[in-house]
Parts: sequence; C-alpha cells; structure tokens
Amino acid sequence: MTDTLNIRDLTLDFKGHSGTARVLHGISLRIGRGERVALVGESGSGKSVTARIVLGLLQELRGVRVGGTVEFDGRDLASLTRRQRAALRGTAMSMIFQDPTSSLNPVYPIGTQFTEVLRRGEPGISERDAALRAATLLNDVSIRDSGRVLGSYPFQLSGGMNQRVMIAMALANEPALLIADEPGTALDVTVQAQTLGLMRDMVAAHQTSVLFISHNLGVVREFADRIYVIYKGRIVESGTTRAVFDAPGHAYTRALMAAVPRLTGGGIPEIDDASADFLAPAVLHAEAAP
Amino acid sequence: MKRTLFILLSNPLSLLGVILVALVVLCAIFANVIAPFPSHAGAVVDFVNFNKPPQWPSIMGTDLVGRDIFSRILFAYRISLVLGVVVLSIAVPVGVVIGLAAGYLGGWIEYCLMRLTDVFLSVPPLVLAMSIMGVLEPTLLNGMLAVTAMWWPWYTRVVYNITRSEREEGYVLAAEVIGAGPAHVMFREILPNCVPAIVTKMTLDLGFVILIVSSLSFLGLGVQPPTPDLGSMVAEGARYLPDSWWLTVFPALAILVAVFGFNLVGDALREILGAEQ
Amino acid sequence: MTAILRVLLRRLVTSLIVLIGVSMLIFAIARIIPGNPARIALGPNATAEQIERLSAALHLDAPIWVQYGYFLRDLSRGDLGISLYTNRPVTADIAQFLPATLELVLVAGVMMVAIGLPLGVLSARYRGGAIDNAIRVFSLLTVSAPGFVWAVILMLVFAFFVPIFPIAGRISDSYSIPAVTGFLAIDTLLAGDLRAFGNAAWHIVLPALALALSGIGQAARLTRANMIETYDRPYIEMARSYGFPEGRIARRYALRPSLIPAMTIIGLDFASMLGNAFLVEAIFAWPGLSRYGVAVILRKDLNAIVGTVLIISAAFLIVNVIVDLLVAVINPRIRYSQRSA
Repeated sequence: MTDTLNIRDLTLDFKGHSGTARVLHGISLRIGRGERVALVGESGSGKSVTARIVLGLLQELRGVRVGGTVEFDGRDLASLTRRQRAALRGTAMSMIFQDPTSSLNPVYPIGTQFTEVLRRGEPGISERDAALRAATLLNDVSIRDSGRVLGSYPFQLSGGMNQRVMIAMALANEPALLIADEPGTALDVTVQAQTLGLMRDMVAAHQTSVLFISHNLGVVREFADRIYVIYKGRIVESGTTRAVFDAPGHAYTRALMAAVPRLTGGGIPEIDDASADFLAPAVLHAEAAP
Repeated sequence: MKRTLFILLSNPLSLLGVILVALVVLCAIFANVIAPFPSHAGAVVDFVNFNKPPQWPSIMGTDLVGRDIFSRILFAYRISLVLGVVVLSIAVPVGVVIGLAAGYLGGWIEYCLMRLTDVFLSVPPLVLAMSIMGVLEPTLLNGMLAVTAMWWPWYTRVVYNITRSEREEGYVLAAEVIGAGPAHVMFREILPNCVPAIVTKMTLDLGFVILIVSSLSFLGLGVQPPTPDLGSMVAEGARYLPDSWWLTVFPALAILVAVFGFNLVGDALREILGAEQ
Repeated sequence: MTAILRVLLRRLVTSLIVLIGVSMLIFAIARIIPGNPARIALGPNATAEQIERLSAALHLDAPIWVQYGYFLRDLSRGDLGISLYTNRPVTADIAQFLPATLELVLVAGVMMVAIGLPLGVLSARYRGGAIDNAIRVFSLLTVSAPGFVWAVILMLVFAFFVPIFPIAGRISDSYSIPAVTGFLAIDTLLAGDLRAFGNAAWHIVLPALALALSGIGQAARLTRANMIETYDRPYIEMARSYGFPEGRIARRYALRPSLIPAMTIIGLDFASMLGNAFLVEAIFAWPGLSRYGVAVILRKDLNAIVGTVLIISAAFLIVNVIVDLLVAVINPRIRYSQRSA
C-alpha cells in the first residue's frame, strides 16, 4: 500500500537580497495510512515550512526554491499544476492552525464558513444540507448546541469551542491527511489537552493520517505513533514514540526532553549549538511495521 | 539616520522624490538667482511681450501683462514653502501638546480637548480656511492663520492615538513609579515615541500645505496679487483655455511636481520608520 | 439590530453637539470682522441712520452671546436670515445652489469607491509586481494635486484635444428642464426626457472625475495598506489551506475585514469633497454652491457665510454618520457587542 505522504530529500531555499538562505537541508519523512506522525523541533527549525510545502502553499511564493520530492498518495506534487495542487487542499488534505480564534474569519458566522468548506468537497450542496452536515460534524466534536455555534461569530465563542469547530471543519471532507500545526498552543493547557484527545479520537475513527507539528515532546507523546525530531532544517532523530522516549539518541532530542517549562524561565538548556554532539548524524531507531 | 538615508536613496521612487524635493527647495531658495526675470515676481507690466507662448527666454511663456511665468513659479515656490514651514511650526507644537495632554491626562480634560478637536475636524478643511480667510482680510499673514487653524487637529489626533496606547506601557509605569511628574512623562517618555509619526506626517504635510494654499488662492481667498501664487495663476489662466494653455498648464504642473515629491519622500519615510498614520 | 440603532442614536447625539460647536465657531469667526456688516451691506452712500436701523434689525448692537441666541432661535425655525448679497433668504439661496453641488459630489463619491477600491485590491493582491507599482504611482500622483489642477488637465485633454466631453456646464442650453428637485438626474427623468438625462450625465463625467481623482488614489492606497495587513492574518492562510482560489480569497475573505478600518477614512475623504467641489465647479462653470460661497465670503455677507458653512458641515456630519452605520453593518463586532464599542 502506498504511503499517504512520502517526503524524500526535501530542500528549501529562500532567495533574498543578500543571496539565498537554505532552510531545509534535505529532510525525509513518511506517513503511512492512518498513521499519526509528529515532527518536533523548536521554532525556526523548519517544521512549519515543511507543512506548507506539503500543502503546496510555499511553492506559490516568489523567491522560493523547493528541491527533492514530496509524494502525496503516490503522486509527486511537483508534477501537478498549481490548480491541481489547490484542488487537493481542503479535500484530500487539510490543516489545523495554532490559534483557532484568529484563524477563523472574523466577519462571517461559523455556519457560513462551514458551508464553504463543505462546498469544497461537494460543490452543489444546498444551504440546508450543509447546515445539517455541519450540525452532525459539530456533534462529533461534542458540540451539542450546534445551532447557536453555527450562528455565532468566532469572537463570540471560547478558544476551545473554536478549536473544536476547526477540527470539525478540517475533517469535514474526510481528508486522507490532516496537518496539525502546533494545534491549540494558544489555548490554556487543560483545554488544549481536551481538544487534543478529541482530535485523536476523531482521526482514529476516520482512519486519517496525521502530520503533527509541535515544539512540545510532552504533547506529542500522547498523540503520535512515530516521531521525527527536526533541528536546523535536518532530521536528527526518528523512530517510534516509545523508542525515542526510551532511548533518545541525539543530543538535541535529550535537550528537548530536558526542556520542561520552569517558572524561572528558560526553555532549551544552554548547550553550544555548534558542538560536535549537535552536528552528529541522525539517529534512526528501528521502525515498527506500520 | 544613516540607514534611513541609504534606503531613501536606493529605491528609485523615493530617490525621485528626494530629487524633486531638493529641486523645489533649491528653486525656492535661489529664486532670485535662477529666475531670468526676478523683477517679474512683483507688479511689473511688459505689454510688448504679453501672453506669449513658450519661447526663449521665457521658456514657459508670459502671462497677460507680459511677466515671465517661469520666474513667477520660482517665487511662488518660495512663498509656498515659507508658508508651509511657518504653518507647521505653529500647528505641530500646538497639536502635539494638546494630543499629549488629552491622551495622557485623560478624564474631563481628554473629553473637552477631543470634542474641541472634533469640532475643527467636522468642518471640511477647505471650508474652514475659506471662512476664516473670508472674514479676515485676505493677506499672507491671515492665510497662514487660517491654514494653521485647520491643521493642528490632525496632529492632535495622531499624537492622541499613540499616547493612549503608550500610556499603558511598562516604561511609562516605571517612570510614574519612581515619581516622575506628568510633564516629564509626557515630554520625555511618550513624546519620543511619537516622533517618527510626526516627522512622516510633517513631510507629507509640507506638500499638502502647498496644495491647500494654492487652493485658497485659486478661489481668490489666499495670497493676493501681485504676489505670485500657483493657485491664482491657474485661476487667472483657466479663462483663456485652451488657446493660452501655458498660463495654466505650467503652474498646475508646478503644484503637481512639488506635492508629488513631498509625497514620495513622506511615503518612503512612513515605510522605513514604520510610523502608523 | 438594536446595536445598530444604538450606534445611530449615539452618533446623532454627538453629531448634534459637534454641529452646535461648529455653529459657535463659525459664528464667533464671523463676528470678529473688522467693520460693521450693516455698513458694508448698505454701501458707501448709506446714512448713519440707515446703518443704525439695519444694525438694530440684525441685533448687531447686542452682546455676541445674545446675537448667538437670536441666531439659534431663528435656526430652530429653519431661518438662516437674509443674505445681504442677494437680498433673499439664505435658505432659498442654498436650496437653489446646493443640489448641483450634491449631485456632483455624489457621482464623484461613487467613482471614488467604484474605482479606488478595486485598484487597491488589485494592488495588494499583486504586491510588489508591475501592476502594484503602477497603481501605487498612479494613486500617489492623484493625491498630489488639488481638484482644480485635475480639472484643468482633464478639460484640456478630454474636452479640447480629444473632444469627447462637453467643456462646461450641467446640461446643454438646448434642453429646458423644469427644476423640481434641483437634481438633474431626477428632474430629467421626471420630465421623461431620456436624451436630456444622457446629456446631463455626459456633462457630469469630467467634473466628477476631477473631483474624485484624489479620492480614488486615497481609497486605493488605504485599501491596499489594509489588505496587505489582512493578508498576514491567520484566517487568510487558513482559507488558502482549504484551496479557495486567490481571486475569491481577495474578494471574499480579505476585502471585507480590510474595509472596516478603511471605510471611516474613505468616508471622511468623501465628505471633504463637499469643500473641494468649490475648486472644480469654478473651472467647469458648474452652477453649484461654489460661486455663491466665494461671492458671499468676498462680500462679508455674514448670514450667508454662516448658513453655507453650517449646511456643508451638516452634510459632512451626515455622511460620517452614514459611514459609521455602514461600518457597523459590515463589522459583526459592533453589531453584536453588548455595549457599543
């Protein structure tokens, strides 16, 4: 069976005024059907740009050069036209963003936005049917008073509620791949945990493959089958969640694990980035059969 | 400062702006040197050469009493710029102080000052200046007065908005905690944060003062003859369109060139300094 | 919808307060004139007795606040006094000249929005490209000259060199349309004369465009700036992640949030056309308020000056109230807020 997503030797360069800057140095990553895979790293490590390449958003910008191959469902994205890539978005793949409240359009009610998302999958769907579908989908993410929610504007709902709405929208057209970019980081911890649990149940029920992007290993541990650790545009360690947690091989992974939030501040411990440890080759744990 | 200048000169459009502004300013300063007929700035009559199309030595033609239009444009620039500088050097301090006071002190002071500002902003600017010019004698001094009266509220608005957001900032609180008085906080702590916005607005406004003054004189309510002014030159010439087109076209283009230059520079400054409107 | 009513009510009350302030301001300015208005009105041959009688009739000998009181009393009856220039009620003069100006301003306002907004949207969508640069230079040029400069240029180009449009006036002399509302667009239709309507429409194009040009530039610049800010918002990326076409994202997802901050200022620009119309009317011999306004100002005709400025300010405020209402309509935050923001 073909993988949902197969990335090989992906490179990314930004052309600026003062030459080009390489952001991704050839990363490889695969996600099998129904598999939940996490891509973990600090901000600026290249995890969010990877997600945007998969969606085909970054390729549209000027001054961007993408190398390597990205195969979605066995199809090379580079061989598709812009229009074909756009056709995949919102139908075969969809994305959940960091801050649910500011990711929903402030000037339209939820119901309107939901209808437009549903029309991506089924262009001819009537207002009425769309409203019914939306209500069912909201019910799946434990929203009981769907009528009120659909008639509301994002700023009238809580962050947790908006997050559920976004999850329901993202899964509305039964995508093969769901990309979650730091989902719920803007929410408070208990709400984040709740919505993550919900998301896990949903993708399990729908057999959706997930690319989960996070800087937080703790969150990932609960969610992912496998983990890729990314550091400065390179994959430095990969393996099953259990293997990575049991025996973190790379200095950076150990540093991330040690980075428990403390009241005194400080995230990742002060380690010389240029040390030999950090430039060590990637640690590849034996992969469990998918 | 150096960086600002560098960016200003490296973009073709803002470079054009800098060149235009420099040209206009140089023309104004050295008007009596550059102008082929410096005496034509005043009440001179030369009926032999009246209403001539562009030709040497009057490259922009002559007006209805035979004065060289190019010379008159140069002197009109001088008067417009002096007017602009005077207007801004009164309007800006007044507007800034009122804006700071309203934004920082709050309470009934804020309410009264901002309603007063609203009153001034509620009359279309040109109409306000017109009515002031109308009841006073239309002289250069009164012209400055009228334009100043319509200009300060805009600075009040800009400074007021910045002050309102800055007064909640940590550094203001810190100054208050160590016992700094309102005057110190307003002028030493908050004012420096308003400077980029003020400088940007002043650059743009130097152009707009030229625009407004020429509009007033166009209506016959501004600078009075024989003092040269771009607006009244257009107004006089408009009756002789299209045959004596040079009477209007050159003064009209002179306004456009000057204001466009100031706008290009102001626009670039706004982008560089990140000043919000 | 009650929130909208609340916005309307609140704005009407503040507008009224501001209008009273404006009337005081104008009144104060008008009364500091050097020289007795009665003497100016009666001319150099008037006797002292005549001047005294007129002064008394105009309450010019009373203290200024008493004069203002009389003024307010008359105003509440819809009486702005007699123009010393035309010897007619100021209200009658204004009623005669205002419609032509309003018609011009309304058409210019429509042009400003109908041309300026799409230009701004295009500019933002193709940011940094050739289209964007062209539109930016165009809009900066248009805001760099007063209306009369554009009037002269447009007239030269499109009425003389390439004679497409008429040179001046509201309608050709060959048509005689009975004045009912004063708005030619309505009066010609009331008269059932479609050709006259077309002729009037043809006459208004150049003056309205000259008046609108700087507004068009301003609207384009504002829309562009706000659209670019909106394009950085997460909800635009979310819309892209759902594969909506770029054109649809610009029109449907980015434009409306961008309009909310832009509209207030576009409204102000639109309202200030009431003043700028004076500049354009003079060039195109447009029979509006301009000639009357300038004439009464030059003759120090107090009642007429106060009346004209008051009417223009009132129109200015009304436009702003309407704009605030529109903003409230497209901004759900205001519509649904418990306390109107």
